[in-house]
Amino acid sequence: MEQLLEILNDINPSIDYETETRLIDGGLLDSFSILSLIPELEDAFGIEITPMDMVPANFNSAKAMWDMIHRLKEE
Amino acid sequence: MMAYNSLLYLFIFLPVVLLAYQLAPQSFRYKVLLIASYVFFLSFSGKLLAYLLFSTLSIHHMGLWLASCKKDYMPAAYAPEDKKAKKAAYDSKRRRILWLGIGLQLSILLILKYSGFFFENFNLALKAISFPRLLPSMKFALPIGISFYTLQAISYLIDVYYEKIEADDNLGRLALYLSFFPTLLEGPICRYSQTAKALCQGKPLEYKNLTYGLQRIMWGLFKKLVIADRLNLLVETIFDTANHYGGIIVIAGAVLYTFQLYADFSGCIDMTIGTGEMFGIAIPENFRQPFFSKTASEFWRRWHITLGAWLKDYIFYPISLTKFVKNLGKKSRAKLGKHLGQIISSSAALFGVWILNGLWHGTGWNYIFFGMYYFVLILLGNLLEPVIQRMVNALRISRTSALYRSFQTVKLLVIVFTGELFFRANSLTAGMNMFQSIFTGFHWSAVTDGSLLKLGLSLPDFIAVFLGFIAVYTVGLIHEQGISIRDRISGWNMFARWSFLYAAILLIIVLGAYGDGYLPAKLIYAGF
Repeated sequence: MEQLLEILNDINPSIDYETETRLIDGGLLDSFSILSLIPELEDAFGIEITPMDMVPANFNSAKAMWDMIHRLKEE
Repeated sequence: MMAYNSLLYLFIFLPVVLLAYQLAPQSFRYKVLLIASYVFFLSFSGKLLAYLLFSTLSIHHMGLWLASCKKDYMPAAYAPEDKKAKKAAYDSKRRRILWLGIGLQLSILLILKYSGFFFENFNLALKAISFPRLLPSMKFALPIGISFYTLQAISYLIDVYYEKIEADDNLGRLALYLSFFPTLLEGPICRYSQTAKALCQGKPLEYKNLTYGLQRIMWGLFKKLVIADRLNLLVETIFDTANHYGGIIVIAGAVLYTFQLYADFSGCIDMTIGTGEMFGIAIPENFRQPFFSKTASEFWRRWHITLGAWLKDYIFYPISLTKFVKNLGKKSRAKLGKHLGQIISSSAALFGVWILNGLWHGTGWNYIFFGMYYFVLILLGNLLEPVIQRMVNALRISRTSALYRSFQTVKLLVIVFTGELFFRANSLTAGMNMFQSIFTGFHWSAVTDGSLLKLGLSLPDFIAVFLGFIAVYTVGLIHEQGISIRDRISGWNMFARWSFLYAAILLIIVLGAYGDGYLPAKLIYAGF
């Protein structure tokens, strides 16, 4: 989780990722931020994110992203 | 034909459907909506209903085909050495079905909507090289709403493919999802997961839903009749005889057309959402005070929201996540750094989004220009962001200060008005000439010599439009603060509520443009 928070802070340091649960729905992360995030997540965690995973529920909070990373690692 | 602002729709069709819906048994209510939707479709497009039926039947079949593949694929039953090959075969079969389904939907749209444009330009190219024979010109009649329901059909197939939704075996529900009459003319582009279930629930009519829906329809009518229809004569005069005008008149044309388009399209969507509300069906919002945006990309997240979201989900992300674009991103990030690398890899997806956005709106070169205009502006915005941030830091400007925000608003308005000038122009050449004439034909005297009053609108017309604009701006400002006006009104006592309702009806009657001497605008987006 530390590593994920580090990556997220690098994308936009002004967001409190530990408490925010509406990163997408609240418009805090736009599609360009998400696109910057994806290669970082793929490289850091050895996963592959596909269009199937591109739903707000997977990116609305750091926890949701963490859960998605775990799920993709297991697949 | 019965557009949402017609008397036939408001006073006969809608009340009859509401009554039939309420009288029908709950399980039959969605069939009432389906029959009403097909009657509505037939009133516009007659036998072209066949295209809609084909789209419905094909996505129904393709969805079930994708589902049956999943049933047949049982990874637990395969020997470990076979698993990889079986998975590859499974993925490949599903991909083929998906592309077949998308291909069928797109080919109808392409043939009906774009073949004329293709042949026209192909013939121009043949003429240019003095080729002796030209291709026969082709023009097909377009079924109403094809640009909207085709995107809905494609989104359904892709969502089934990605297992975001289950394939629907209920043909009637899918048919209603594609054809629900309030969404047929101008969208919004609904997702299956947003509306299909609610459409078939058969909820009984409720007093609150009826009043909320009616209020929303009246608000849409206000925008349409007071602003869009009243401005129509002036907009047509300026754009259809563009070579007579320059300078301030052309600027006025671009500005007033933008307001007309917003009032027309968002007004129609208000009527759509209001009709849905009456039946207890939540139709997604398509506008969120777009003129309060600060950048072009934010504007497009607030204007025609469902088209932007469709292009983001089904074009932008899929292109961005292809192996080619990912590799391009990796290489360019390694060579050029994070920021530039990101811009290069996202530009391929962004180009796809904006060329399709332009083409979706129509088949003229001005629409392609319109798409490319926003592609370049948004790309530049992303590219220059670090430079702007450095400048703002060096000059110690606060990006949240009123002055900076005002600068952003003015900049955005200039961008939007310029874009709409080309969007509305009768051709790309006409748009270029109009844009040029702003500078070559600029005279301040156009404001004082009464030129603006010789374009089909009198001073009282301008006053009515101005009052309408103030009303729309005020409502936007209140919504921007997260306040629901209708919730506030519903808290008033009965006398105040009904007085407000009567005042609103009176305002529409007094300020609305109808009858002799007016040229009502056709619902603009219904033409796309």
